[in-house]
Amino acid sequence: MSNFYRVSTATMYNGAIRNLSERQSNLVNLQENLTSGKRVVRASDDPVAAAQAERAISRIERLKSEQRALETQRNSMSLAESALGDAVDLVQQLRETVVSAGRGGQKPSDRQTYASQLQSLREQLNEVINRKDTNGQPLLGALGSALQPFVGPLFANPDNQFNGLPGQNSSGGVDIANSLDGHSALMFDAVRDGVYGATVTRQPGSSLYTTPAQTSNRDLMDGASYTFDINNVTTDPITNTTTVDYTLTKTDKNGIISTSTGSSAPVLAGQPIAIELMQGADKIMSFNLKGTPVSGDQVQLQPSAGLMSSIDAAIKGLQQAGDDGGTSQVVTQALAHLDTGLTRIQAVRGYAGELLNRADRITDDQGKRSIQLESDRSRAEDLDMLKGISDFQNANTAYDAALKSYAQVQRLSLFNYIN
Amino acid sequence: MSLLNVGSRALLANQVALQTTGHNIANVSVTGYSRQRVALETVPGQFTGAGFIGKGVNVADILRNHNELLTRQAAVAQSVQASDGVRNERFSQMQNVFSGGPSGLGAAINDMLNSLGDVVSAPTDLTARTVTLTRMDEMAARMRSASAELGEISYSVAEQLRNNTTSINDLAKGIANINEQIAGAIGSGHSPNDLLDQRDQMIRDLSQYIQVTQIPASDGTVGIFVAGSQALVLGHTASQVSLGESAQFPGSGQMALFFNRAGAPPIELNENMLGGGETFGLLKFANRDLAEGRNLLGRMALAIGSEMNYQQSQGLTLDGNPGKPLFSTPAQINGYTTGPAKGSLNLSDPSKFTPSKFAASDYEVRFTAPPGGGQVVRLSDGKVTDFTDLTDLASQQIDGLTFEFDPLFPPAANERVMFQPFANAAANMQALVYSPRDLAAASPVNAQMGKSNAGTLQLAGIKASGEHWDASLNGGAGGVATTGAYTLPPTGSGVTLTFAADGTFTVNPPPANPPIDRSATPPQEMSPPYQYQSGHAITIDGWEITLQGTPKAGDSVTVGDAKDPQYGDWYTRNASNAGALRTLRDKKMFDESTLSDGYAGLMATVGTRAQSAQYAAKLSDSIANNLEADRSAISGVNLDEEAAKLIQYQQAYQASAKLLQIAQNIFDNLIQTMGR
Repeated sequence: MSNFYRVSTATMYNGAIRNLSERQSNLVNLQENLTSGKRVVRASDDPVAAAQAERAISRIERLKSEQRALETQRNSMSLAESALGDAVDLVQQLRETVVSAGRGGQKPSDRQTYASQLQSLREQLNEVINRKDTNGQPLLGALGSALQPFVGPLFANPDNQFNGLPGQNSSGGVDIANSLDGHSALMFDAVRDGVYGATVTRQPGSSLYTTPAQTSNRDLMDGASYTFDINNVTTDPITNTTTVDYTLTKTDKNGIISTSTGSSAPVLAGQPIAIELMQGADKIMSFNLKGTPVSGDQVQLQPSAGLMSSIDAAIKGLQQAGDDGGTSQVVTQALAHLDTGLTRIQAVRGYAGELLNRADRITDDQGKRSIQLESDRSRAEDLDMLKGISDFQNANTAYDAALKSYAQVQRLSLFNYIN
Repeated sequence: MSLLNVGSRALLANQVALQTTGHNIANVSVTGYSRQRVALETVPGQFTGAGFIGKGVNVADILRNHNELLTRQAAVAQSVQASDGVRNERFSQMQNVFSGGPSGLGAAINDMLNSLGDVVSAPTDLTARTVTLTRMDEMAARMRSASAELGEISYSVAEQLRNNTTSINDLAKGIANINEQIAGAIGSGHSPNDLLDQRDQMIRDLSQYIQVTQIPASDGTVGIFVAGSQALVLGHTASQVSLGESAQFPGSGQMALFFNRAGAPPIELNENMLGGGETFGLLKFANRDLAEGRNLLGRMALAIGSEMNYQQSQGLTLDGNPGKPLFSTPAQINGYTTGPAKGSLNLSDPSKFTPSKFAASDYEVRFTAPPGGGQVVRLSDGKVTDFTDLTDLASQQIDGLTFEFDPLFPPAANERVMFQPFANAAANMQALVYSPRDLAAASPVNAQMGKSNAGTLQLAGIKASGEHWDASLNGGAGGVATTGAYTLPPTGSGVTLTFAADGTFTVNPPPANPPIDRSATPPQEMSPPYQYQSGHAITIDGWEITLQGTPKAGDSVTVGDAKDPQYGDWYTRNASNAGALRTLRDKKMFDESTLSDGYAGLMATVGTRAQSAQYAAKLSDSIANNLEADRSAISGVNLDEEAAKLIQYQQAYQASAKLLQIAQNIFDNLIQTMGR
């Protein structure tokens, strides 16, 4: 028997009901999409989009946490930068005070006053450079340091120390370092900077003082200290030139002592005597002898441990200086050292400024990325509202039509016509 | 008189036809009912001299409109539909466990790792440390609850399976009973239509639970076979099925259906034999899909737990001690077998497992006969790794796991041992560290630049990594061995890296093992003169340093022991190891996706499976519906058709009645005529 045109009544109803409920569930799903605003409600709706959205969400969260960390770093860095700025101001004040102390016609008591002023500024500077950020991390802690990285003056050699690990943490693509290299900013290294302080021990009748020592070929000196003993000062009566014979005693950093002798080039009497210290064929240090040297005068040349050491030396020098060339010695040397120190601080401060700029750039960049990620997420899982509403209207109309047709068809029956 | 006979026969036949039509109309909504029709036959004519005179009509039989083939096809299709449907249902439950977004498990993992950023910013801030530890606890709790939800699904699947076996057994008994009745009734020569319908319907019902094969016997009974050849119903006897754990790997939790015959040991039917039905769908879901979900989750738990524990062990706590494990992870996983072998996976020695290489799968070790060598089979995709003996097996990592067998318990011939490394990892994940001081944020090694450095060297990172170059790995090519041990630089002088003008550097004192360029892929052994590359991580004797910038000749970096008394308590303000813990989020862990993206991958995997289960369910649903429509097109009742037949038979009945009336009239006329 052919059943091509045959349909079972029960199946017809079942089929119609199945179709109706399919349309209804479709409508309900679209409604869920519309009300939640999401195209992907469950991962199975679109696994790839769900994973994309999940990745975007986790990246957005990560950006947020990176931003928070960056804010902390930016905070620390701007604190560090302003600490260095304060340090620069203080060093400038120190410099002015030193200049004032060097003016002529000062009484010993004036010098004491200047020394106390310097002392006070030095103490302030000590506070400034040992500042900490809001989390208690030293701002100038370099690669790790004690809570107070800068200690001094100490009764030791060197008299000022950096209690930390010198070096600078690098900054990555999304973060910046949160501390600066305090060693680089405020300490002198014998090889890197070669800042030497000269102390003169005068014999009676001597008014010797020196200009600040200039150093070169510092790797040869390698942090050694030198004692410059004047053996003989000869003035040639014919040419009226002066020559100084000296013994140089070098004590290297491991305590090994070596001596050598030398003579200065003759200069007109009364003119500064230029001294060039050599190691082998290389010039390592030069300074001028001023005033009147006599035989037996001694110049101690010590590497300065840092800006603070130089300030301490200046304070001590001023306190002890007499009216002779000693003040001039202290002042010129202190000024030279303060300038070297300022250069170092400015360099590190400049780096801090650059890091702050970098932090701004990172923030900008991450702001853009955040927007990008948000739109990625939205594209992956959010519903296009226009499409959603239009789909919903379609489904609505279709369901309506299905209901109407069902109602009409189920009214048709041969039984209606049998009386 | 014969006219009267013809009339009454016709009346009777049409009455039967009307009654059958009524029966059809009455049963229009009865599932499984096949419409019946009356087969009428002409009563053979009476031979007279004038030829054969018709003697009317007779009811020959009541026939059931029914197509054997379509009925069977529909039953099979429904069986598949039931299996796909139930699997889809369960999948939609399972994917809810792995939901995404800001409240999902993935967010918990990322929050935990991101919170380490605050520790990096403020290593001495105990609040930041406490927040991180709380997030770790939270993450572990989420792992456990996700695992518990999977357990809940697994439990209800097992319950449903148990109910199904009861239904299968009841239906089998029912079919056996009906078989008996049908065998009795069929002796009458007529088919017991309604009993047949009932049996077909019961078979259809049974097919919902388990796919069956029907083989009709000559006595009218039908044999019902499951799993290809197991006779569930034979004549009027029914066998039973029951649910239990697969006997092959006791303890593994793999479920199987057992076929119980009287007087014989039960036969294990695994899901591959069943072919269709809810039972098939549920077993497949429980043994494969749910196991996969659990493995994915467990792998994530175990890998994250192990990696974080490892990095924590490479750091110093605020009190200067090496970090204790952050999460509980199993020390070893034992294999399941019925034989004598005792196998385990070592998860306590860092050189024996590599979390970044884990594959979310169960494993089976199959020994050959005679025992000794064999294969390790990754069950998720059937990847095979051969081994020659137990020592060979223990000397290699397969998917980051080392399979160790106790030589005192030699495996039997053809023994199979099953390992489920990840099945319970998430369920047992606990955070172990609660004191903020015990988070190992500091690195045990520190670094300082030479004070007279003139170049632009900067420190990008330093940490202990516990890695060494082992020349014997990778078949002699050498590779990175992760033992967790690091050699601290000597106190006082430390280890100094000094750079030369040509960008090479020397290490003093010379390292015991060759340094490793960790940033090369794969990591490379470095040989003197060591070549410096900005930004490359260099591993020396178990610690790792990353430098940036350009060194000038003579520049140096000194690495020291952070606990060296000369460095005081400086390590407490160090957060290198917290940074290293945080960096784990970018470690390639789960099939080449990073730790922080791992969950997105997991979601997508489960989502894809759920989606394909949904598609399969839709497809088999429409196939089953079409076949059912075809079947019912033959055997179903159409009311309009019945209405038409009603009119047809009613008219025939009326006509037959007219016949009787006419016969009576004729007879009356005859009597009247006679009576005058």
